[in-house]
Amino acid sequence: MHSKRGFKIPVGPQHPSLKEPESFSVALRGEKILGFDMRLGYNHRGIEKACEERTYFQDIYLIERICGICSHSHSTCFIQAVEELAGLEVPKKALYIRTLIGELERVHNHFLWLGIAGHEIGFDTLLMYTWRDREIVMDILAALTGSRVNYGINTIGGVRRGVTGEESKKILKAMDDLEERTKYYIELAMQDTTIIRRFSKVGILSKEDALRLGAVGPVARASGVERDIRRDDPYAAYGEVSFGVITDNHCDVYGRTIVRLKELMESFKIIRQVLKNLPEGAIAVKAPRKVPAGEAVSRYEAPRGEDMHYVKSNGTDKPDRVKVRAPTLANIQAVKHMLKDRFLADMPIVIAAIDPCFSCTDRIISTRDVDTGRSDVMTWDRLREYSIEWHRENGVDFSKIKTKIR
Amino acid sequence: MRILKSIMRWARVKSPWILHFNTGACNGCDIEIVASLTPRYDLERFGILLKGTPRHADVLVCSGPVTYQTEDRLKRIYDQMSEPKFVVAVGTCACTGGVFKGCYNVKGGIDTTIPVSAYIPGCAASPKAIIDGVVKLLADADKGEA
Amino acid sequence: MTKSEEIKNHLIKEFGYLEPAARTQGPRRIFMEAGADKFSEVFGFISEGMKPVMLSAITGLDEGEGLGFIYHLSRADGVIINLKTTAPKTNPVLKSVTRYFPSADVYERELRDLFGAKIEGLVEGNRYPLTDDWPAGEYPLRKDWKKKEVKDAL
Repeated sequence: MHSKRGFKIPVGPQHPSLKEPESFSVALRGEKILGFDMRLGYNHRGIEKACEERTYFQDIYLIERICGICSHSHSTCFIQAVEELAGLEVPKKALYIRTLIGELERVHNHFLWLGIAGHEIGFDTLLMYTWRDREIVMDILAALTGSRVNYGINTIGGVRRGVTGEESKKILKAMDDLEERTKYYIELAMQDTTIIRRFSKVGILSKEDALRLGAVGPVARASGVERDIRRDDPYAAYGEVSFGVITDNHCDVYGRTIVRLKELMESFKIIRQVLKNLPEGAIAVKAPRKVPAGEAVSRYEAPRGEDMHYVKSNGTDKPDRVKVRAPTLANIQAVKHMLKDRFLADMPIVIAAIDPCFSCTDRIISTRDVDTGRSDVMTWDRLREYSIEWHRENGVDFSKIKTKIR
Repeated sequence: MRILKSIMRWARVKSPWILHFNTGACNGCDIEIVASLTPRYDLERFGILLKGTPRHADVLVCSGPVTYQTEDRLKRIYDQMSEPKFVVAVGTCACTGGVFKGCYNVKGGIDTTIPVSAYIPGCAASPKAIIDGVVKLLADADKGEA
Repeated sequence: MTKSEEIKNHLIKEFGYLEPAARTQGPRRIFMEAGADKFSEVFGFISEGMKPVMLSAITGLDEGEGLGFIYHLSRADGVIINLKTTAPKTNPVLKSVTRYFPSADVYERELRDLFGAKIEGLVEGNRYPLTDDWPAGEYPLRKDWKKKEVKDAL
């Protein structure tokens, strides 16, 4: 691929006769994207079918592993539907603990995202700092649940572990530390010209388009769409805590960054309220093995947006049907729209900005120039390198960053 | 302690290149693999570098159960690596298929498709376990036992 | 009266035939059913008349003789109208709703791959979520489908 300035970026297939389906196919005119198509399904495992062949209890562990970063979101969403079908009244204490874990998940998710966003634009220092901060949350989750990932805190009818006073104190201290770090990142995002330059006017999605294309989560909220399942369709303990729904009007990647950072501040608020008002009592009620026939629709505001589960029961110990619609799938049309008429070099950050819940580490991109007919195949890493180099050519250089990293 | 020192010396000399490939995972293990490069765990102090190309990779680190979509690509990547090459299956899914064993689009663990040199269980495998597994593999490789 | 009951009554007033199968479940869930011939008018009414509304997902169901399709329409006030329609397994034809909701594209492809639904008006494009070499006529989410057949074919 040659830029207009005449220098050559070494992109190319890993193997000359690479024939497997590319994940992204891009129609180009020079460096501009005319059309963009995605091929999904790489990690389609057949979970919904497997759910029908296992009991509700076994399904908790399967559903939790739909996505390792949103595992509590999926687990809670599913269990809420089952509890509705079984007519269970989940103890308040359990609802509070679910909320606590859910918000901790949001916190580690948003820090993770910030690091990935930095990595995509060539600002690896940000990756190192945010992921170091994230470890504070991972330690808390490991102490509370026994695992850094896939916590297994939920059971049908409640949760499996409580929170001790000692743990509570540690969490509150950690929230103070993380809040300091977050304030620093907000300052960085708002003042650093390099970041502003790379993120602004990129991946534009107007409010109108966000509504029309059904965007969810921080992507929608960064386009001024005030939509948050925690407030609109409350679940767990969200009806009893006060928090703000964060929106922004930049309608671009910068807006999505600001929304996630401010959401972190709201998460700290929620976590403090939950711990302060943690009810006494049981952490779970007994759940029946067989669930009476019926259907239920459950929703959850995952870090990436609206997660929706539909469960149909038939009076046995196995569900008749489980349908999962993860948030990223809802944002696909929005991404296609955002990339139209944009530079290929913007592709990595625009896709990263929807915080996609599919592994982006090894995606194959095929490009075809409509004018010259020339086609290329490259890996995600190559695309990222191309993007960073392209922007460096255009004056973006992180070695000149003014704000001091602490 | 002496063994650890010689591993570290070896790693610094050899500086093995690692290629990471996700064959259909939930991303849990992938995040932990990336986390092992961040300051808390710092895989790079062992001289291990994460690279993007199979042609120069010494170790292929795989996460996830093999789905029918990714099967061919996994084989292709393995074929492109030059000897000596090692494959590490990270996480329970990569080892045996994990919770997804039996799902219609899942073939099974990594060893259903390519030979595996080391298995690191865990759901997800923690960064400590990952580093431990990779370093042990390299030590064995150096001794000619892998 | 809960929000869901209010909206349910409003819809029944417009389309009396919805009444027999209409019910609410909690303050924010409505379940309704419309036959193939009536589905479009109800769907259009909700999509155009209750804006802003979002199509959260489409769930396919194997109901024995026929296939069921539930369109989960989410309103801004948090209420979800779960509008179901059915089609015979021998000829499961649906009209695409992408003109109302572009996001339906990937949900409809999923119904095609996993249930064998035929979507009229769906544009050419990649299949989702199955592989290109998945054997034809094999619909994994149908109740009578077994994994063994595919393993051999692939």
